[in-house]
Amino acid sequence: MNISYAWLKSVAPGLNEGPEELAERLALLGAPVEGISSRSEGLEDVIIGQVKSVHGHPNADRLSLCEVDNGEEVVQVVCGAPVIEEGGFYPFASVGVTLPGGFKLKRAKIRGEYSNGMLCSEKELGLGRDQSGIMLLSGELAAGQSLTEVLGLDDVLMDVEVTPNRGDWLSHVGVAREVAPGGAGGVTLEPIPGASPIEFEVETGESEVSHGDVTIRIDEPEHCYRFLGVIIRGVKVGPSPQWLAARLRAVGQQPINNVVDATNYVMLEMGNPMHAYDLGKLEDSSLIVRKAAQGETMQTLDGLEHEFDDEMLLICDTSVPHDIAGIMGGMHSSVTGDTTDLLLECALFDPKSIRRTRSALGISTDASYRFERGVDPEGHLPAVKRAVEVILATAGGEVDGPILEVLPRPWEPFSLVLRPARVEQVLGVRFEPDQLAALLTPLGFTVQNGEGAGVADDWDADDGVTEGDDLNVIVPGFRSYDVTREIDLIEEISRSYGYDRFPEDLGAARPTTVPDHPLFQLEDDLRVALSGEGLFEAVNPAFASEHEGEVELNNPISLEESKLRTSLIPGLLRNLEYNFARGARDVRLFELGTVFHSGQVGEPPREDLHVSFVVTGRSEPEHWSGAGRALDYSTVRGLVETVLAISGWEDAAIGGPAGAATKGSGDGAMFLPEFSIDLRSKDGSTTGAAGQVRPDRVDAPAWAGEVWAMELMLPADPSVRATTIYRPLSLFPGVDRDLALLVPYDVPTSDVSDQMCKVGGKLLERVTVFDLYRGDGVAEGHRSLAFRLRLQASDRTLTDKEVDRVVEKVVKRLREDMGVEQRL
Amino acid sequence: MSHQNPLVLTLQDLETEALSAIRAAPDAGALEDLRVSYLGRKEGRISEILRGLGGLEADQRPPVGAEANRVKDVLQQALKARETEVASAGGDSGAGIEDLTLPARQRWKGGVHPVNRVVDEIWSIFRSMGFVRARGPEAETEWYNFVALNTPLDHPAADEQDTLYLRDSALLRSHTSPVQVRTMEKYEPPIRIIAPGMAYRRDSYDATHTPAFTQIEGLVVDEGITFIDFKATLAEFARRFWGSGTKVRFRPSFFPFTEPSAEVDVKRVITKKDGTRGESDWIEIMGAGMVDPNVLENVGYDPERYTGFAFGMGPARIAMLKYGVPDLRIFLQHDIRFLSQFTTGRAP
Repeated sequence: MNISYAWLKSVAPGLNEGPEELAERLALLGAPVEGISSRSEGLEDVIIGQVKSVHGHPNADRLSLCEVDNGEEVVQVVCGAPVIEEGGFYPFASVGVTLPGGFKLKRAKIRGEYSNGMLCSEKELGLGRDQSGIMLLSGELAAGQSLTEVLGLDDVLMDVEVTPNRGDWLSHVGVAREVAPGGAGGVTLEPIPGASPIEFEVETGESEVSHGDVTIRIDEPEHCYRFLGVIIRGVKVGPSPQWLAARLRAVGQQPINNVVDATNYVMLEMGNPMHAYDLGKLEDSSLIVRKAAQGETMQTLDGLEHEFDDEMLLICDTSVPHDIAGIMGGMHSSVTGDTTDLLLECALFDPKSIRRTRSALGISTDASYRFERGVDPEGHLPAVKRAVEVILATAGGEVDGPILEVLPRPWEPFSLVLRPARVEQVLGVRFEPDQLAALLTPLGFTVQNGEGAGVADDWDADDGVTEGDDLNVIVPGFRSYDVTREIDLIEEISRSYGYDRFPEDLGAARPTTVPDHPLFQLEDDLRVALSGEGLFEAVNPAFASEHEGEVELNNPISLEESKLRTSLIPGLLRNLEYNFARGARDVRLFELGTVFHSGQVGEPPREDLHVSFVVTGRSEPEHWSGAGRALDYSTVRGLVETVLAISGWEDAAIGGPAGAATKGSGDGAMFLPEFSIDLRSKDGSTTGAAGQVRPDRVDAPAWAGEVWAMELMLPADPSVRATTIYRPLSLFPGVDRDLALLVPYDVPTSDVSDQMCKVGGKLLERVTVFDLYRGDGVAEGHRSLAFRLRLQASDRTLTDKEVDRVVEKVVKRLREDMGVEQRL
Repeated sequence: MSHQNPLVLTLQDLETEALSAIRAAPDAGALEDLRVSYLGRKEGRISEILRGLGGLEADQRPPVGAEANRVKDVLQQALKARETEVASAGGDSGAGIEDLTLPARQRWKGGVHPVNRVVDEIWSIFRSMGFVRARGPEAETEWYNFVALNTPLDHPAADEQDTLYLRDSALLRSHTSPVQVRTMEKYEPPIRIIAPGMAYRRDSYDATHTPAFTQIEGLVVDEGITFIDFKATLAEFARRFWGSGTKVRFRPSFFPFTEPSAEVDVKRVITKKDGTRGESDWIEIMGAGMVDPNVLENVGYDPERYTGFAFGMGPARIAMLKYGVPDLRIFLQHDIRFLSQFTTGRAP
């Protein structure tokens, strides 16, 4: 909400704070000021020039010679603007003036013709970005006037952020109610120049009121609660006087004509949107509030054609619509220079109906914004009178008849019960009834002693609250939307008292019944482990492209992010590509994040927490003792084992060469078949996969190394690792025996070591693979694997005989069961 | 064990002697000689002791055997290390003159994402104040995301967060506040939780917006919780996070699920470019307020008995301020050069 500091001061007499102080106070009242701007700076010497005549420049096609009246004399100016109106008023900088950019104007000779100043564009004045042409000014103007006065720039514009509950703050009077020294009661309206007092009569009807041939009627009392109309005849539509145009410009609005400007002025001042119709364009001089016929259309003021459905509220004459109720007027009956008779409308609509219509039509206007947030139901009569006053003072004419009011649902002021004990329960500070009254009254509430006042149904005297202390608080119309409950009053009390005045004593707290969620602890463990392994954590948005995801967004921002991811790897690969593009070879990333799968019909999608990593480059940083090895399968497998050990899956294991899990989530598999493994949980179900990423899945430069990745679903209910129970350490030495074995390629190493453990029994404590040899001396189809077997007993030193027995048994069984021979 | 077997001492002497000999060995040949004389299968002096184990008293075997094996391992490693040294030194190039300033052998350093570092820091403060962590789904229903939180869908307040919808009126939660409702539905007071997690809005990427972002929700509900507890807890948090000299300000605001509602601002003590101390501007760090009675009622709590407060903040925005990162998109690029600035270790 744009608030003019000068305007605000005029409605809040006695307000003496400067704009900065005021902004600080507004912030502490709940309306922070986003920006304070004085737009007059550097423009003090710019004046209004009137172009008397325009001729082509004799020596340049694109330049014009203008005779410009600067208020004292007529001077020649060379101008390059494509369109210059004879008789038009423009900002004019005379010779010697310095413009905001620091450019000082000199008398210049351009292509042989003298130029004594410059007609300016918005951009040259620092007022806007428009540089397409010079800035044509509208309104009642005279050459030589100060530009800053005319534009209302000798003022400070405050951009006040208004929360959606405070529709009452969307006007200067609304803001003044909170900041005026006398509170809501201290607000006045500024006198209208040239206005004379007007006597009004009001004629009210329940659904229809007429005067002469003019009729107004409400057919939809559920959505239109009140409709006021005033007939004004004999107006002369033209530019607004300077004071009016300046007020509008000061808050960033363009003046249009004196009638339209008057309605906008009153809305910005008092908060009630209104609309003026050209009475001559209304068939049967009628305005009827009704629902649209399905498919009915109308062209709005902005020139756009809208089509309506039968839920939308329109204001129509006896045949066609002239206004989308509470949103925007129609082109056909808009006030123009030819208009002489007006029908002025000021109404009250159901906020929900306005909201529905304007979002369905995709438009938002100053009027709809206010109606959606709630317009003061008590403000219509003062606002209409004010608007008539301004119109008569600026456009002339006379009021014809009384104010016509259709009022199907008269506004009933309501009151709320306020219990001081409840105030203390919520705020922690005891306020006496007279203190509460003193805090609420300046905000416009009427506080009465509660004795005899109605007690709300939803509580009873058993609460230990003394009924005698209770207050009865009457809510003013302008707060009737957001203050409807006792708690709303308590907020007003805390705000009025000042949040900063409440103490900050940290009391004792009882321990909560809620356990710390185990998935967070699992995430913590994985973060510590993987970052300790030299990986960096990534946090990618959970979106996927239309080709990758499963669950669709109904209203995506782009096709690249139109679904939800089923895997974290694609996002990490995009991060990797980003790094490759910047020359990074060594990239190690991991991510903990949610993936989504389609759920049951009518239910939200299924969510799983996954952990993934993507790594490439060397296994350690470069060192002078020798280059680091490239990350290989063995290193990556180690990382995978680290993750599995803390994954929260009981007995998670690498399940051997990958099957189905390696199928990527879109076009084909993610991993190279020769380097991919399945990850399985205890029950054998696949929980993830790891391996070398297929080259077609990542856009890698020629110099990049192999890319490895892993993805694992984490359990929703992670198992807790069993408590470690101490095992006595053997007092006796163990014995190592090395075995070189010729193992056929189709026998996996893990099968050999598993078999060793099985056969070796209790005495075989550990099996280590310490060498792999392929080549000379090794039979075709075999490789030589060297195992170190550690044998150990807890109660004795093993004899050579015992050791030999175990080793021989192992060798025999390997030969017989697996075709593995000892290499001698 | 007061009486050590003399063989253990002998082994230790042998170890000392052998190690200094290995260090002094000039070349591979000398090292091989040393290996044979100490560890050689036939005449090696350690091997000799190992072979003699059988002749010892039963209770003496384990300690001597273990010590012999240990010394054997140490010597094998020393031999191997010296072999590498000798091999790379390539002869006479200054054996014994080590340059101790050569760079160390490093391992890769990793790190937690800067936004999650902030989450961790916030969590550690709240943990010390008796909070636990709660979580809920990211795909939600309109009930949990809006209605239960006292936000009617036809109220302009619902517009404040442009929501991403899925089919069947499911949506991606536009804030972490649904966790409030889910936690209260499942547990009885006292409630004292924070809920870090992802939230989603229909925003385009720019310097201060991303359509997916981390949020931290907080909720306290019990008997006797007042506006004073609310202010005290959050001011304490803010001073612990931003430093003890930090000023904290509570401003009235509006959120449908809290009343009274507040924005919490901080003014930090900063060191200016010229080295003098100064104060920052007020910086908005969270939205908060007393839990609206309608929310308590919606989860079946008695609002006349229980009161509470709730708060929400954006760790990415806080990370921007804390680390001086000018654009949120930098957090999403995952440029290794950027992430390397936040390596593992205690957060500063």
